[in-house]
Amino acid sequence: MRKLIGLVSLVCLAAAAPAQKKETNLFPYNYTVDDLANGLRLVTVPTDFPNMVALYIIVQTGSRDEIEPGKSGYAHLFEHLMFRGSEHYTPEQRDLILKKAGADSNASTNMDRTTYYDVFSREDLEPVLKLEADRFQRLKYSEPAYKTESLAVLGEYNKNSADPTEKLDEVLHATAFTKNTYAHTTMGFLKDIQDMPNQYPYSLEFYQRFYRPEYTTIVLAGDLSRDQALNLVKKYFGEWKRGSYVPSIPPEPAQTAPRTATVEWASPTLPWVVVAFKGPAYSNDKKDKPALDLLLPMAFGSNSDLYQKLVLKEQKVDVLDTDFGGHPAPELFSVSARVKDGKDLDYVRDEILAAFKRFTDENVDPMKLNATRSRLRYSFALRMNSSPAIASSLALYIGLMRSPDTINKLFALYQQLTPEDIRAAARQYFVLNNRTIVTLTSNRGTK
Amino acid sequence: MTGRKRFLVPLMFCLVPVVIISSSAAVPAKPASVLLPGTSPLVTFRILFMTGSAYDPPGKEGLAQLTASMLAEGGTRSMTYDQIVKALYPMASSVSAQVDKEMTVFSGTSHIENLERYYPLLKDMLLDPGFRADDFMRLREDAVNYLKVSLRESNDEELGKEYLYNVIYSGHPYGHDNTGRIVALEKLTIDDVRDFYRGHYTAANLVVGLAGGYPKGFPEKVEADFTKLPETSADQKHFDAPKIAAGMHVDIITRDTRSTAISLGFPIDVNRSAKDWAALALIASYFGQHRSSNSYLFQRLREARGMNYGDYAYIEYFPRGMFLMTPEPNLGRQQQIFQIWIRPVEQDNGVFALRAALYEYDKLVRDGLSQHEFDTTREFLTKYANVLTQTQSARLGYAMDSRYYGIPDYNAYVRTQLAKLTLADVNAAIRRHLKTERMRAVVVTKNGEGFRNSIVNNSPSPITYNSPKPKEIMDEDKVIQVYKINARPEDIRIVPVEQIFE
Repeated sequence: MRKLIGLVSLVCLAAAAPAQKKETNLFPYNYTVDDLANGLRLVTVPTDFPNMVALYIIVQTGSRDEIEPGKSGYAHLFEHLMFRGSEHYTPEQRDLILKKAGADSNASTNMDRTTYYDVFSREDLEPVLKLEADRFQRLKYSEPAYKTESLAVLGEYNKNSADPTEKLDEVLHATAFTKNTYAHTTMGFLKDIQDMPNQYPYSLEFYQRFYRPEYTTIVLAGDLSRDQALNLVKKYFGEWKRGSYVPSIPPEPAQTAPRTATVEWASPTLPWVVVAFKGPAYSNDKKDKPALDLLLPMAFGSNSDLYQKLVLKEQKVDVLDTDFGGHPAPELFSVSARVKDGKDLDYVRDEILAAFKRFTDENVDPMKLNATRSRLRYSFALRMNSSPAIASSLALYIGLMRSPDTINKLFALYQQLTPEDIRAAARQYFVLNNRTIVTLTSNRGTK
Repeated sequence: MTGRKRFLVPLMFCLVPVVIISSSAAVPAKPASVLLPGTSPLVTFRILFMTGSAYDPPGKEGLAQLTASMLAEGGTRSMTYDQIVKALYPMASSVSAQVDKEMTVFSGTSHIENLERYYPLLKDMLLDPGFRADDFMRLREDAVNYLKVSLRESNDEELGKEYLYNVIYSGHPYGHDNTGRIVALEKLTIDDVRDFYRGHYTAANLVVGLAGGYPKGFPEKVEADFTKLPETSADQKHFDAPKIAAGMHVDIITRDTRSTAISLGFPIDVNRSAKDWAALALIASYFGQHRSSNSYLFQRLREARGMNYGDYAYIEYFPRGMFLMTPEPNLGRQQQIFQIWIRPVEQDNGVFALRAALYEYDKLVRDGLSQHEFDTTREFLTKYANVLTQTQSARLGYAMDSRYYGIPDYNAYVRTQLAKLTLADVNAAIRRHLKTERMRAVVVTKNGEGFRNSIVNNSPSPITYNSPKPKEIMDEDKVIQVYKINARPEDIRIVPVEQIFE
């Protein structure tokens, strides 16, 4: 075991405070990062929220690791399988332990990571860690149980399928990406989900590849100490064997022309349009991604000229949404709008395009830039309202860089960026050959 | 429900040691308040008005919601809405409204550094609304589109869950969706909104909720500001239990969907203040704890059979459950229902799923809980109260709900009520409250006729699996696939989705 960082505080977040304000620790929690010899990382955050502990286990695998054709959706399926029993605990025994702990327990999967969590009373820390250690090292499920769980995944697809934005997102990614695995959603293609029951051996292989200590970080936040956390994690996860698999994810070839797609939706709906450009991967030392983070709310958020015009003044759009998360590889910067009247669809699309163009031509207003820095800082601070919320906020960054320290670096970069930096990033990425536009319409109207 | 003076209640599991509850009774000009002072740099507001959609005048369904939207998403007399958005932007704060039958709450959190800028905005939004025509047009259209597009056509589960309430409370003040009815919304005017505001946003209906590290004297300032509201009388109507006909009734909503969503339930005369509340809460948790695999129904339908994504049960209204792991506070109601939520299943398994839900429910009513099931569920709920009240905003909301129900601090109440509960109490509560003779079911599916015919003809609805199942499950399936759904043909209605919420 090698201690990497001792008692590093995230206090330098306060560096992003508006200049006129006295600096205050917005994230006043010390944390420690400890690396076990097998590659497992532990981040401990003692908080002042009493009695409760939040255990987040982040595995750096998601749907982008699904590289074989016909195998979309397995990272997510795997999240389900992790509740199907392990060598020393049947699912029923697992449920009983968590029930007696009064735990809130669940998991989620996205393109890049799978996050498992348990929130429980502090006195149950050891039994819960012991339980979790078993499934991460010794998962055991039968083929019938596997097949049954694959149906629960189909049920999840079914529950989502009434929502046209799910389809919009699926088509957007399938159009924008041709080789890279971001072409499929985390849920996966329906035909692959329907084939899951036949792929038991592949599921076992997926576990062997990714459920390894070098892909995993444990976050423990709450009413506990670092020593307590470290001793128990070493005790129960110390023997976990390191793996060797590294996926060969095909890079997306450079796009050579703008792309479009249309979706005909069977049920009545208001039409949607989404305009997306391929953006940069997450970085806390290059300027482009943080620059576009800052631009997003200025250009397309509720305070933007576009929102004020389309939603508030002209009232042609009732939803104006954006998506530009942090990803380890280039992903999409997208703006979607639900249009109240189909005849305005082209107009709304053109207004969105004009806003993209405007920010490649003009520098952002420095006052608005300051307000945006302030917004990002306070929005982080306002999320810190419980131990699970703290662990959950860290999980995003740990999924990317395995260290909370990246937050400091990112916010420091936000502080340094100039209007020229932002325009340069917009010019680099908001170009015709990076663009995909998808529209979704229904010929059944909304009556 | 309100005391005559301020009093302190120790909070064992709260960040802050005390909750201070005051009433307007001692000093008439001052509004009631619930205060949770603490050391957090975040200051949470919950400004609650004891009014809601149950007070919508007949023919003006949606007025309470639209009025609240005009305050939270409209301008004030001195600022347009876009100016408010601009002012809130650097603080990353907002004011959001939640309207239910008897409660309307405006909530928001500000960092202490921004309190002096945030609070004046919040205050003016609630006390000095602009009621502009352009805001009104936008928000009324949003409400119509929510019902017509988002709820009716994009989320089968929420559609079924919400419509179940419309069915159970038909002819009752709770009988329409909180957002309203489409036909009524389209006729509402801005004068209707002004009238509703004037009549219901009164000091008598107000409870000020504040939590966090607010400065000394701040609650007094807020309370003094809100004395600007007219006194008038409080909306403290008594709402009777719904009068519904005996028998099982099934409403089948037809729309072009690939799966089948099912909700079922019936009214109960138990809310959080009732003697049997803890017993029923324990039963619902055992049978179908929200988003948990630790419950009976989930184990039988999802884990054993792989029928869907989850299956849950409730004794309190819990909207937006597909997006939330824990319920929002400030949804207090005099009347509640026992509800079962079966998440979408494959079309071919729809009738089997409804039968399975009824079969398992009937089994619960017949057999009750075992001592082991009782013990483990009680242990779970005793600790889980801490999960429900983890955030400052939730603690404040629960404290305000405790005031509404006239019960002590929620966590302490749960602990003491559960501690004195016995298995015999729980099984007696099942016999008293869990009825089968007034069940209502809502099904959202594509082939309504086929579904209806299966029930009317009591046709077998076998289920097939992609893997071998234990004999116990196969034997049980033989019972379930012909389990009688005791609905008369005239009580099984097919409702085209276009007619819902009209």
